[in-house]
Amino acid sequence: MGENLLEVQDLKTYFKVKAGRVRAVDGVSFAVKPGEKVGVVGESGCGKSVTALSIMRLLPQPAGEYAGGSVLFNDQDLLDLPEKEMRKIRGGKIGMIFQDPMTCLNPTMTIGKQIGEALRIHLKLSKDEALKRAVSLLEQVGIPAAAERVNSYPHQFSGGMRQRVMIAIALACNPKLLIADEPTTALDVTVQAQILELINGVCTEFGTAVILITHDLGVVAGVTDRVVVMYAGKIVETAPTDELFANPRHPYTLGLLASVPRLDEQRHAQLKTIEGAPPNLINPPTGCPFMPRCAFARAICRTMPPLDPIGENSNHYKACWVDVTDPKEQAYAEKRRQARNERMLAVIKESALQTLEEK
Amino acid sequence: MDISEQLNLSTPITEEEVEPYLELTTELEQKRRSQGRIILDRFLRNRVAVGGAVFLIFLFLLCFVGPYLWKIDPNSIDVSSVTSTLSPPSLVHPLGTDTVGRDTLARIMAGGQVSLLVGITSMLMAILLGIGIGALAGFYGGMIDNILMRFTDVVLSIPLYLLLFVLSASFTDGSPKSVIILIAIFGWTYAARLVRGEFLALKEREFIAASRTIGAKDFRLMFRHILPNAAGPIIVNATLLTGTNIILESVLSYFGFGIKIPFASWGNMIADGQSIFALDGWLVLWPALAIFFTVLCLNLVGDGLRDALDPYMTER
Repeated sequence: MGENLLEVQDLKTYFKVKAGRVRAVDGVSFAVKPGEKVGVVGESGCGKSVTALSIMRLLPQPAGEYAGGSVLFNDQDLLDLPEKEMRKIRGGKIGMIFQDPMTCLNPTMTIGKQIGEALRIHLKLSKDEALKRAVSLLEQVGIPAAAERVNSYPHQFSGGMRQRVMIAIALACNPKLLIADEPTTALDVTVQAQILELINGVCTEFGTAVILITHDLGVVAGVTDRVVVMYAGKIVETAPTDELFANPRHPYTLGLLASVPRLDEQRHAQLKTIEGAPPNLINPPTGCPFMPRCAFARAICRTMPPLDPIGENSNHYKACWVDVTDPKEQAYAEKRRQARNERMLAVIKESALQTLEEK
Repeated sequence: MDISEQLNLSTPITEEEVEPYLELTTELEQKRRSQGRIILDRFLRNRVAVGGAVFLIFLFLLCFVGPYLWKIDPNSIDVSSVTSTLSPPSLVHPLGTDTVGRDTLARIMAGGQVSLLVGITSMLMAILLGIGIGALAGFYGGMIDNILMRFTDVVLSIPLYLLLFVLSASFTDGSPKSVIILIAIFGWTYAARLVRGEFLALKEREFIAASRTIGAKDFRLMFRHILPNAAGPIIVNATLLTGTNIILESVLSYFGFGIKIPFASWGNMIADGQSIFALDGWLVLWPALAIFFTVLCLNLVGDGLRDALDPYMTER
């Protein structure tokens, strides 16, 4: 303890719905050191964003509930904090950026006022001081003619510019931690790199730790020090970024890496996917949640594997019984994959024939 | 001739040519008009609404500046001659005189002051009440919403005119102040429902979640972030409510429950003139026309504002 800025321990966040409880985050533990940049990756609906909202304690009420675990920030459990103290943390100590900059800015307020708002709430600055700080912040996030543009409204900015403004707002009070929830998903490819570079640069400069949530492995590769791979509300693998890309050990991570489309691939080649969809989190399968989609699966996968280091003194953890680097296992998985493909082709053929007959 | 010479390949591209394209992200240069300006432009394009607005401005000037130019006291009685009572429009009395020889134009001005004052101040009070109640209900939801909205339903379910007749008969003293308060106390219900609806929709928007992440308090969220975004419908409602309140005041005064003598109002002027309608129709006509055109123009302006403030009308 102590050396970690943020320590999420066995966090469980559930949502009450008619059909039962959705286990959106189910026993997630990870830590972020001061100044460290951590990526959280996974498919849609695997609990990345809910983890972020849980840290900020902004779960949609009354459906969301914290079923267990703790979120230690500077050795202080955020889940126990009274709402008043929590408001000081939000914006003051932890900043957040959302996915869609088009809808995250108040259309009726000038951006100068919106940036100044955090300063006025937390640092109790006067109107003029806040506006002055806003101008320098806008300059820092690379908006030209900042002194003029503070008085503009959000609709006068392009998407990339608005995301820059969002970054300025999130970093206004110089927080210790920045949570970026898919900050580039809604942007053009050409702007994405600029925004990532900006987040990276500014946070390095201020010494801000970053949790970067994304489904884009390219984003994670460029910016982060460490990656956490989430699946169905659980962490399945975590390792330093370079190690994870060079040496993925969980079948799900393998699948994610394989499904990144490549520009140098042969044209019209079939794009690789992970078959199936994430499990229903209302009644998740006991055991490894990835088992139904996993080519490496076997009987032992019916019990959940622990998140263990892959070797002595390693900082690479995986939650999988199988050693995916073993050639024998790979051959077995390949066979299963082919069998599955054949089965699927057969089903497709049959239904095609049926429709032909009906005609 | 060599083709490269034709294309002028030897001259390099200058810095000035490239520079404008080096900016990080493109800006939307053309939209430099402020939001208020855009709304004003859209409103001005609506001829009917502008006509209404012009008439209202004229009416305001007539009622509030007019008395300084038309210096006849609306309460001065002139029974010196037969021609000075119940006279039809003439040069001395452009709108004629009433049974006791008071100048109708001066009384229209005085009555207009009261009617407009009652309409506008009671609207302001009702809207403020409605915003407070609607904002609390919409923002917090749950129990608070239930209690406040059921209370609103109760107020709405009482027949308004009957209630106002009874209450004004027993509680008001016939002064404009008491009538204003009475109308405001029962006029907030539609505003409250409207504001609640807006708040329900707006509080789910992402920029509210974003403001929460910078640690904004509920009060700030409600009145700095949500309320300005709901301003359009509220302004429209306020305009229409002013018209409704003017009519309400006139009805009360007409039946003798509202503004009472010595205060003039358009409503009690109609009541006065009605008894001798067969003798002199003018006395009813002028205040009736004044009410009719005022309310009509308020509604036209309200409609114009509704169109101008509608965020989905994208044409600029």
